[in-house]
Amino acid sequence: MMKKKLGIILASVLAAGTLLSACSSKDSSTSEKGGKNGEPYEIKWYTIGTPQKDTEKVFAEVNKYTKEKINATVKMTQIDWGDWAQKSQVMINSGEPFDIIFTNGTDYVQNAQKGAFLAIDDLLENEGKALKEVINPDFLEGNKVDGKLYGIPANKEVARQDVYTFNKRLVDKYNFDLSKVKTLQDLEPMLKTIKENESGVTPIATFKAPLRFDYVFNNEMPFAFPFEGDTDTVINPFDTDAAMTQFETMHKYYKAGYLKEDAATSKDSWPMDVENWFVRIGGSQPYADLLWSRSAKYEVVSVPVEQPTIVNDSVSGSIQAISATSKNPEKAMEFLTLLNTDPYLRNLVDKGIEDVHYKKNEDGTIEDLPARIESYNMPSYSLGNHFILNLYKEDPKDKWEKFKEFNASAVKAPSLGFKFNSDPVRSELASITNISKEFYPALATGSVDPEEYLPKFNEKLKEAGVEKVLKEIQKQHDEWKSSKE
Amino acid sequence: MHPAVNAIISVLLGIFTLVCIFPFIYVVIISFTSEESIVRNGFELIPKEWSIDAYSYLWSMKEQLFQSYGVTLIITIVGTVISVLMISFYSYAISRPQFKYRRFFTFLAFFTMLFSGGLVPTYIVVTQFLELKNTIWALILPLAMNAFYIIIMRTFFLKSVSESILESARIDGASEWRIFFQIVFPLSLPGLATIALFSTLGYWNDWFTALLYIDEPSLVPLQSLLMKIEANLEFMRQNVDVSLMQQSLFDTIPQESAKMAMVVIATLPIAVSYPFFQKYFISGLTIGGVKE
Repeated sequence: MMKKKLGIILASVLAAGTLLSACSSKDSSTSEKGGKNGEPYEIKWYTIGTPQKDTEKVFAEVNKYTKEKINATVKMTQIDWGDWAQKSQVMINSGEPFDIIFTNGTDYVQNAQKGAFLAIDDLLENEGKALKEVINPDFLEGNKVDGKLYGIPANKEVARQDVYTFNKRLVDKYNFDLSKVKTLQDLEPMLKTIKENESGVTPIATFKAPLRFDYVFNNEMPFAFPFEGDTDTVINPFDTDAAMTQFETMHKYYKAGYLKEDAATSKDSWPMDVENWFVRIGGSQPYADLLWSRSAKYEVVSVPVEQPTIVNDSVSGSIQAISATSKNPEKAMEFLTLLNTDPYLRNLVDKGIEDVHYKKNEDGTIEDLPARIESYNMPSYSLGNHFILNLYKEDPKDKWEKFKEFNASAVKAPSLGFKFNSDPVRSELASITNISKEFYPALATGSVDPEEYLPKFNEKLKEAGVEKVLKEIQKQHDEWKSSKE
Repeated sequence: MHPAVNAIISVLLGIFTLVCIFPFIYVVIISFTSEESIVRNGFELIPKEWSIDAYSYLWSMKEQLFQSYGVTLIITIVGTVISVLMISFYSYAISRPQFKYRRFFTFLAFFTMLFSGGLVPTYIVVTQFLELKNTIWALILPLAMNAFYIIIMRTFFLKSVSESILESARIDGASEWRIFFQIVFPLSLPGLATIALFSTLGYWNDWFTALLYIDEPSLVPLQSLLMKIEANLEFMRQNVDVSLMQQSLFDTIPQESAKMAMVVIATLPIAVSYPFFQKYFISGLTIGGVKE
């Protein structure tokens, strides 16, 4: 009986899988366009975040404005953070008709390659002309998939910069000189002092040893372009001296008890508001310390790990794409243009209605009213252009200037704009992913001795076909490079 | 039975029961642990700091909680009734020899056990063909029919309702409806109760249909609410950068203890109602195998 049942389950899973993959083709209906007979077209917009109580109220205001400006109304639906990945994928695969959808990272690239999104280069020249002017060109360049752009990135910090963040109370207590901190190795004396004198504090809030490369997928996978030297040749970053040095240092820290014993496997998120750590690593942006200190309710201070760098990941963190199933892509583009260039609309969508959700002070800064936290708490990062957002009372006056400086100071990664198509090496990648998942967390948290395990890791990667994948990446990279020139 | 054997069996069963019930007790303990204590010391059997913060947090979101409770109750009750009726109608029909196409319809049900439409086609049918998205029916109808239960009930009807009883009823002039509700139904009560229990559990614990078809917070059932919280926490862990920059958004997501408190609240009703079904459950399983 058990066997039979198992067989049944297996069979149905298989059948479901085949059907699922067979069904990813898009439906192409562009015939009936709304808004032609003077009727306002309703733009269906799906974006990420916990659904808010006052969405309808705010969008009644939004619609008043958009009806007048572009003869369209907007129906915005939020999908909760955790549901997003699965639900949006099912919606896209089923060919459901909608106009605009939030997307990011590899999801964006895959769906663009699959044809789920509309290439918007032409729209950007016409309906989106004003939009093109305000967005940092690095965003537009870095998000091209096979030479075409498939979505509007939110104009914000274009680069990523990891920083070491310290608990300022402890830094002051022991008079540490943070200006000397440049590398992972420089942390050692501080960690030692903390370990010896502060019993309730774990010196390192679990992080992975930073290894600075331009990764093709993510920092777990053994494919990356170096930032220095031969930046056009893809290598296995774990097969370098740099990796050995970093992992050895981390192992030393682990043995000394600077990390929790279960660092490699723990899913502990180290919430900021519990003061049980001394140093951590995180992605930064201008004035991040201020934000963090505010949410932690004690002061933190940061030191950069690296120079701000524009990588594929940092330009594709938040994108609004126009669906291939949209019945009126022109209107969708008009709306996105308005959203990203019109301060009134942008602030209305983000902060809610003035005097209901926020109030404006005399100097132009704003303050949240309780109603915003309770019933219109929107994620700014996902919605669009940051530089036309009102500043909060507690924000530094030059916040957006600092963002612009930050963007200007950033260096471009060698593979910015290169989107690898993994289809030819899918089976190799699957086994490499498994091997990386097994070794990388243990090595990068120092839980195992790299002298022994790093060669083992590389050996296994070789058996799984890392060379073949490297070759394929190199081939596609060279093609991409020559097509650019 | 020898007293020693009896004692050994009792001890073994006792240990087994303990193993089964221990995780739940642990969950209850964690739900009463203070959040700070969890972050610093991890989960503990006897926490250093007790607290009812988790439950007062749940009380603070009572609107959504009661709403979700209501949704879950409605879909469980309405769903179970619809499901039991549909399944018993179908399986009664295919269990009767005078129904000419019974083999075809049995095969039709059986076929769906081997091959399902898959996620995306199902989604298309529900949202674009039936247009059930964001209605309560989207939570009820997709789960109402279950081929496996149909096969179980068919066997049950075949074994426990003999043709001779039905014939005598027919001779007395009873209509088919009357035969079904007044004779077949009472005779098959144990089997039906088993199916009812299964589908009650199915509806109560279902979160996936809500994930697919529901965007409205007012229609989110309890288990789905729990799943959302869990999934949001997972999202936070994986996207540390986003969550650090958008701290105010994530402050409202409850942490470990509140999660456990929700598990307690979501599990209790079904745990309490289980003993009422149990007697049918046991007789349903035994009678199904023994008669005739």
